[in-house]
Amino acid sequence: MNCLAVRDQLAEQALGALPSSEATGVERHLAWCAACRREAEDLQRAAATFALTLAPSDPPDDLRDRVVDAVRSSAGGGSRPARRARSGGALVVAAMVAVSGLGWGAVMAGRAERFRERADEAIAQGNEASERFAGLIASPPFQDPENRVFMGTLSPTSGVGGGAAITLISPSIIDLAIVTVSGLPPARAAALPYTVTIADEAGNVLSVGKIKELDADGGARLARNFNRDLLGFTQVLVRDASGRIVMKGSVAPRAVVASPTP
Amino acid sequence: MEGLISGNDDALRTLYARFSRPVYTMGMRLLGTREAAEELTQDVFVTAWRKAARFDPARGRLSTWLMTIAHNLAIDRLRRETGVSRPTLVLVDEVPETAGVDEEDVLIERDAAMRALSSLSEAERRLLARAYFRGLTAREIAEADGIPLGTVKTRLRSALIKVRRANEDKERP
Repeated sequence: MNCLAVRDQLAEQALGALPSSEATGVERHLAWCAACRREAEDLQRAAATFALTLAPSDPPDDLRDRVVDAVRSSAGGGSRPARRARSGGALVVAAMVAVSGLGWGAVMAGRAERFRERADEAIAQGNEASERFAGLIASPPFQDPENRVFMGTLSPTSGVGGGAAITLISPSIIDLAIVTVSGLPPARAAALPYTVTIADEAGNVLSVGKIKELDADGGARLARNFNRDLLGFTQVLVRDASGRIVMKGSVAPRAVVASPTP
Repeated sequence: MEGLISGNDDALRTLYARFSRPVYTMGMRLLGTREAAEELTQDVFVTAWRKAARFDPARGRLSTWLMTIAHNLAIDRLRRETGVSRPTLVLVDEVPETAGVDEEDVLIERDAAMRALSSLSEAERRLLARAYFRGLTAREIAEADGIPLGTVKTRLRSALIKVRRANEDKERP
């Protein structure tokens, strides 16, 4: 479904009146389209206004304790430690800052042309990207032993470019995926936007986002929070605007740097 | 909300005191029984706890965020459980202006919601209520009223946008 078709359905979706047969397509679109998702959330909030106008009914007195118990039980017993209460939004921003601060552009400046000519160095480029995640995974969320970190490099399908991907899978904060690419041909505007996806073995595919522009090195970075478990989503694909796969790779478990051996 | 994010029981109790009544009310209206309303209330607060980090105060009020969770869970349940009777249509016009022993903040929330809906015509309010409280699809409304589907969709959307704008005006400093 395209954005126009989806937006036609969003009012019904917000009101909970969209037939199930149509809801699936809308939800699939909302999973990757931030603009439509924002519109959907705005309309849902407007719809929720209706609920607040109802004449209130009083819940039974003992319901409060049952609710508190249910929340505790959901949390695995006990209160959630405050240190882990970091929002996904803050995490993704922190991650982007960390990746941006690694001097990727400076390192690659002047080298992109050589990479285009030498396919084997594209692999090196991916490895280098991977090394550059080292600074990121030294940050606290990636050091938490309860969080699992998966990393891998991306290889070009036509000898051009390279990249790396990292996913953070956590029982307590929103999961995160970051993909960096470089060496894509900056002059090929027709190839834009590139679409980056991660997939599991069952064929479920999630969008990490779209690359709408490249820097001078043909590079770009994407990061996205996922309000779902990313475990099993190991296959990373980068496609150009025509749908052709230009880069692919997979992520695998990585030991947390500097964490104590269990 | 910060307390909820950090897993503080007192914060959860405070949140419950403020919002359990509208959540429970929604359960009663949509699901029709005390048992279902109690289960819904429980599920809403557990879900809110899990998703606390996703709440963005810059994007809207806590009350509407919780009620969105409540409505989504209630609709999911209605769809799962075939044979559950649809709730009685409740029109805002029929809702009394004041009710019993509300805490002040609940009254404020309700008053704000009533004012936001006052931006709608009676026809628009009734149209939205048929979809929101009864789960009627645009097609069902179009067929019942004998008007084109596209017209119903347009009216639903423009009415919701009016409410959204009224909410934005209300929250603007």
